Amino acid sequence: METALLINTSMLLTLAIITMPILLPLLSKSLQNTPTTITRVVKMAFLTSLMPMTLFMYSNMESTTSYWEWKFITNFKIPLSLKIDQYSTMFLPIALFVTWSILQFTTWYMATDPYPTKFFSYLLMFLIAMLMLTLANNLFLLFIGWEGVGIMSFLLIGWWQGRSEANTAALQAVLYNRIGDIGLILSLAWLASTLNTWEIQQTTPHTQTPTIPLLGLILAATGKSAQFGLHPWLPAAMEGPTPVSALLHSSTMVVAGIFLLIRTHPMLTNNPTALSLCLCLGAISTLFAATCALTQNDIKKIIAFSTSSQLGLMMVTIGLNLPQLAFLHISMHAFFKAMLFLCSGSIIHSLNGEQDIRKMGCLQKALPTTTSCLTIGNLALMGTPFLAGFYSKDLIIENLNTSHLNTWALLLTLLATSFTATYSLRMTLLIQTGYTRTSSVTPMNENNQMIINPLSRLALGSIMAGLLITSYMPPTKTPPMTMPATTKTAAIILTILGIILAMELSNMTQTMTQPKQNTCSNFSTTLAYFNPLIHRTSSTNLLNGGQKISSHLIDLSWYKKMGPEGLANLQLMMTKTSTTLHTGLIKTYLGSFALSILLMLLSTLNLN
Amino acid sequence: MNPHAKLIFSLSLIMGTTLTISSNHWMMAWIGLEINTLSIIPLISKSHHPRAIEASIKYFLVQATASTLILFSGMINAWLTGQWDITQLTHPTPSLLLTTAIAMKLGLAPFHFWFPEVLQGSSLTTALLLSTMMKLPPITILFLTSHSLSPTLLITLSIISTALGGWMGLNQTQTRKILAFSSISHLGWMTMIIMYNPKLTLLTFYLYSILTTTVFLSLNTTKTLKLSTMMTSWTKAPALNTTLMMTLLSLAGLPPLTGFLPKWLIIQELAKQEMTPMAVTMAMLSLLSLFFYLRLTYYSTITLPPNSTNHMKQWHINKATNPSIAIFTSMSILLLPLSPMILTTI
Repeated sequence: METALLINTSMLLTLAIITMPILLPLLSKSLQNTPTTITRVVKMAFLTSLMPMTLFMYSNMESTTSYWEWKFITNFKIPLSLKIDQYSTMFLPIALFVTWSILQFTTWYMATDPYPTKFFSYLLMFLIAMLMLTLANNLFLLFIGWEGVGIMSFLLIGWWQGRSEANTAALQAVLYNRIGDIGLILSLAWLASTLNTWEIQQTTPHTQTPTIPLLGLILAATGKSAQFGLHPWLPAAMEGPTPVSALLHSSTMVVAGIFLLIRTHPMLTNNPTALSLCLCLGAISTLFAATCALTQNDIKKIIAFSTSSQLGLMMVTIGLNLPQLAFLHISMHAFFKAMLFLCSGSIIHSLNGEQDIRKMGCLQKALPTTTSCLTIGNLALMGTPFLAGFYSKDLIIENLNTSHLNTWALLLTLLATSFTATYSLRMTLLIQTGYTRTSSVTPMNENNQMIINPLSRLALGSIMAGLLITSYMPPTKTPPMTMPATTKTAAIILTILGIILAMELSNMTQTMTQPKQNTCSNFSTTLAYFNPLIHRTSSTNLLNGGQKISSHLIDLSWYKKMGPEGLANLQLMMTKTSTTLHTGLIKTYLGSFALSILLMLLSTLNLN
Repeated sequence: MNPHAKLIFSLSLIMGTTLTISSNHWMMAWIGLEINTLSIIPLISKSHHPRAIEASIKYFLVQATASTLILFSGMINAWLTGQWDITQLTHPTPSLLLTTAIAMKLGLAPFHFWFPEVLQGSSLTTALLLSTMMKLPPITILFLTSHSLSPTLLITLSIISTALGGWMGLNQTQTRKILAFSSISHLGWMTMIIMYNPKLTLLTFYLYSILTTTVFLSLNTTKTLKLSTMMTSWTKAPALNTTLMMTLLSLAGLPPLTGFLPKWLIIQELAKQEMTPMAVTMAMLSLLSLFFYLRLTYYSTITLPPNSTNHMKQWHINKATNPSIAIFTSMSILLLPLSPMILTTI
């Protein structure tokens, strides 16, 4: 009894602490926010959220609490209900921890910004929406959180709104997310009309779920989690400040799509079509993103494509029918990806805004903490044994290798794994080693507690989190116990191969001549020509088609030609013809009379 | 014209019409028609204008041919059936000949070519006589023989008449020719219904005569012979101009004016007889004539002409307005509510 009370109360307390900075300034003029207060609030919320996490680990108690019901249609219940289960209790502390670190970093990063408090408030509002998404028990509340994170993403990407690229990127993010939302609304509509509920517990079917709502959910995940087809917004979202990239586009928002699929997993389980779709989509996404990351020269874009690739991997895991493993990867990925972004933010500020890795080098000596954390993050990303990434990534690849599913998806994923190692090592080599290629005068200084504390916390998390979380989360499905040695070590072997490849390639680039262009590198650099092809053609076709239908077809053809003008022209033709027939000559008239009579007589005689 | 001559011609007109209407022998019908023809020829050529002479000659030629054909068909009927009764025209060949002859007499398409030119050549009052009085005997004969005429031929003639009346009227600027084509259209409506309900033919004819009389007399007052004169007729008799507009719209067949009554009843009768496509066709073709009636109302009443007159009302009026215009105008605008009474008395 007390456990239930404690778990609910502590969860509500966490939420209350988080929403305080939004509510209190509205009540009194003297209770305004500052960046420090918001950071402290999030730290407090993190510490409070450890309570439900430990309670859950101790007692394995899950609860669903319903606070209010929106009585808007008589027989359709839309309650405000929160689900406290393994996913939400584990995700909440991790998200709050990462957010706390990012906010602490932001107080240094955005110090020269004219509106820091507004920035922090935006980040906080985003966090509230994300938590709502995570805790939601019905798809309606999840949709509210979904839209909330979308809007905050738009506002945050376009933070430097004087920059037109930032505005375009924000718009791109919103549009691609919207296309995904169509899928989510489709599923909501199908569920409401067929199962009369939006609660996730009531959607578990006995037999196979029809494919349509699942397609909707997969479309939603494709939009939000930047799978192939709706992916261009994620690299473009790097126009926002680095804290935004760290929080939204690496740890929390982009995993919302995968999280949706994890939550609605009971519906997906027994539909092999949907599962294969997830598998293949994830495989394509992961390989595509990894290929594009190979030739990028902007740090943030490399990390963005790396995020995209890991999201593809999570989708592959969903396709393998392993939601808990996908969640595990989400948790691990949050740590090291946020850390990678924060390191890149520190580097960018130290080099006075330089983001091109070709103009960096030998930063290992100048920025030791930052680059060490960068190395730790990259190693974790590659799946180095016993760092955070290993526990989830290696398990995924083992499951993939021992499953009876699509070999092609398997091959793509393995290839992407080795590419991960390649681009990570390329990034490391170009930034941290070699001769320095930066400009001579740089404001390099990382001796700020505001930088070092978050980075070291996240580094600690990247190292320890794997062991800690897997020790306390028992697996829901049986992991593969035995497999041949090569299968077991496949991930490591491929990673090492990728590393060797990267080192070989970097040895070849000692001279500074322009690299020769060939098809493969062009393909990678231009992101498979996806952006110009799709962005131009779809808008041109839509606008042209619209103009043709409305102007040509409706206005000019139906309303003018088929209507008044056309009819009038016809009558005019007849009038002119008949006027010329009336010649005025009586002989012609009498002759026509005679001819008519003759014709009539002949026709009636023929009839008789 | 010499008043004595005028008297003789008018009385002969009346006598000829009466003779034909009340006859049941083909001979008597033909005699009446011939007396009509002969007495109206001098009336047409009264003004000795070359146009009038040409009109009278055209009229004579066509009408003579038509009368001959009527007598010929009566004769063939007598040969084949042995009797001269008008109502017993049983054989198809004489009935076909009779139909064409009546068409020629009335001015139904494709035998209508003479009608606009004859109307154009005569004065407005003579044109009135030609449109109303001279059509009465042939319509009577049509009424009497309606049960034995070929429906196909009648429908064909009526549709072509309505269509041609509409199309030709669009291209005219002389008011007499416009009224000629309006007459042809109305004759088309009359001929359409004659095989199903001949009484409606007579009703249409009576109402059409009233309407046309009104229009002709109004135009006579303001001496409007062309469209450009029509634009400045509002200065001569403003009230008459307004009622002329209503009369023209009544001719067009717009409810709630009188001219709507025949069209409504004809369409109802056709629908009852499962002839809905015909009804739709006739209604559509009447839209053409509606256009030129509207054009007339536009020019006479609704718009002001670009050539402005420099006075509001002419101070010197030539002739007093015919008092019968008032009666005819009232009848042509306001008779629709009396339609039950009209139906029961027809």
